[in-house]
Amino acid sequence: MEQIVLETKGLTKRFGNVTSLDRVDMQVRKGEWVSIMGPSGSGKTTMLNLLSCLDAPSEGEYILDGVATATLTEKQRVAVRREKIGLIFQQFHLVPYLTALENVMLAQYYHSMIDSKDAEQALVHVGLGHRIGHLPSQLSGGEQQRVCIARALINQPAIILADEPTGNLDEANEEVVLNLFQELHREGRTIILVTHNPELAEYSDRVIRLHHGRVQNDASAH
Amino acid sequence: MAGDKGTSMPKSRMFLLVLFKSLKVRRNRVAITFFSIMIGAAIITALSSVYFDISAKMSRELRAYGANFFIGPAASSGNRNVDRQTIDDAIKMVPREKLVGASTYIYGLVRLDLGNAVMAGVDFPGLRKLSPYWQVEGKWIAVDFDEDSCMIGKNLARNMELKVGDSVNVIKNETGFQKSLTVKGIVETGQAEDEQIFVNLSLAGRILGQAGKVNHAMLSIVTEGTDIDGLAAGMQKSFPGLDAKPIRKVSYSDGKILDKIKGLMAIVAVIILTVTTLCVMTTLIAIVSERTREIGLMKAIGADDRDIARQFLAETLIMGVAGVAAGLAAGFILAQVLGQAVFGSYISFRLIVVPMTLVPSVAASLLAAAIPVRMAVRVVPAQVLKED
Repeated sequence: MEQIVLETKGLTKRFGNVTSLDRVDMQVRKGEWVSIMGPSGSGKTTMLNLLSCLDAPSEGEYILDGVATATLTEKQRVAVRREKIGLIFQQFHLVPYLTALENVMLAQYYHSMIDSKDAEQALVHVGLGHRIGHLPSQLSGGEQQRVCIARALINQPAIILADEPTGNLDEANEEVVLNLFQELHREGRTIILVTHNPELAEYSDRVIRLHHGRVQNDASAH
Repeated sequence: MAGDKGTSMPKSRMFLLVLFKSLKVRRNRVAITFFSIMIGAAIITALSSVYFDISAKMSRELRAYGANFFIGPAASSGNRNVDRQTIDDAIKMVPREKLVGASTYIYGLVRLDLGNAVMAGVDFPGLRKLSPYWQVEGKWIAVDFDEDSCMIGKNLARNMELKVGDSVNVIKNETGFQKSLTVKGIVETGQAEDEQIFVNLSLAGRILGQAGKVNHAMLSIVTEGTDIDGLAAGMQKSFPGLDAKPIRKVSYSDGKILDKIKGLMAIVAVIILTVTTLCVMTTLIAIVSERTREIGLMKAIGADDRDIARQFLAETLIMGVAGVAAGLAAGFILAQVLGQAVFGSYISFRLIVVPMTLVPSVAASLLAAAIPVRMAVRVVPAQVLKED
């Protein structure tokens, strides 16, 4: 039995009178690929914000790689984010005036030490060894997303959280990114992916469906 | 992925790389901030430079408003006259570069063709420097040896029916002295001088039968950097028979005017700094607003509040220091333009102007950054990264 990397107990988030996430219990094991699905307004984004420590829950517990995060201060949440989480966004979100290599190095800069060789290797790993000196505006959407993936991996995070990573990609680039996720999974990375795309979810080990902020279904994807 | 020494990069280098690339990509806004700070610093530099020179220069300008130092016989001596030589020696105690003008005087009653008048014996070249505000119809007597001409007060000239170029007989019955003089200039001061006739000092002494004697001397001395009380005390010690004293009212007015001008300059400097601060603040707020997503991203990948604040403060500091450096150079040139326009002379460079400009300008820039930095630090990544 693999160890549990992420666990939530009664995780709840309210915005005023609106309960966006309602007593969610879930566990994710090391090396597991979990997809979170659900219609708009089901609480997927709120869930991802809580899991990535970008936001704090109103109630409940969230333990990430042995750290109870629910009661952490903002500064401590930043440290958890830096040390344990690799984030991938739908809109890529790269610093526009830094090259691909420098964008990856920026994550190293905030984490610990900067090593250009390691950053370059991370880009080679996602198939962008020949594009390291290019600015985001000189890269295609798929290439930008691959820079994001390289940046998310560079600090060896305990978990990779991805928000609709193929949402802004064409079919060809979607396949490239999907292959990368499969490769990461094979390497034993823990992945949580928020998606609308059932085809993408099929590749995961487990799918959690949210509805009105509650877990409607938590089952194997196969 | 363990790094080795050969490929590792110091964090400071990465910090500078992000800093300069960030400035380069926003060169328009950076230029606005730079020029705002530069213009503010230039005006402060110019005003500070003029401020330090103004005392010396304005003090000379203010000397156009008449004498501010008196030398006469000591009251305790009971004399109304003193030797001209004694007073001339006392005048020599005033540092040459501080003495704007000086004249000795002797007064007496004389008879003219149509009536009596007060005659003043004066040193004409000295009197002209002492009283540049006198309105003169005709000409000043330019030399101190002209014993054939006189100047006459406006009212007296009217009463005696005299015009420029006319001759007038000056008669002193007690000495039997009589001399015909040509009216070279008619004087209007609005004061007692309008009723007097002015002649050469030596001639006046002979007319009055008091050759070599004078009543007193009036001096115009630059007060800035002069221990005027010490000077008076020194004269009295060296010449016990003399009473030497500053004319308080005039000296005090000089100081008051200077203080007011300096105060006005300080107010202008504060207004300029305030306007600069607001301009820089507005531009920095615009910069932060267009970078919220970038800030959110930096926070999402591990930047804490200190990292964000450091980044924006460093950017502001670079623009501030560069703006001040350019402002110092531009301000010194502006000071020369002001110096030429107002005083007709160049303004000296003083090292004190550098910290006087640098400290408030950079402080104003950093103050201007306070609100934008606070905005940047308060960016919530979860909000801004979801926005399309």
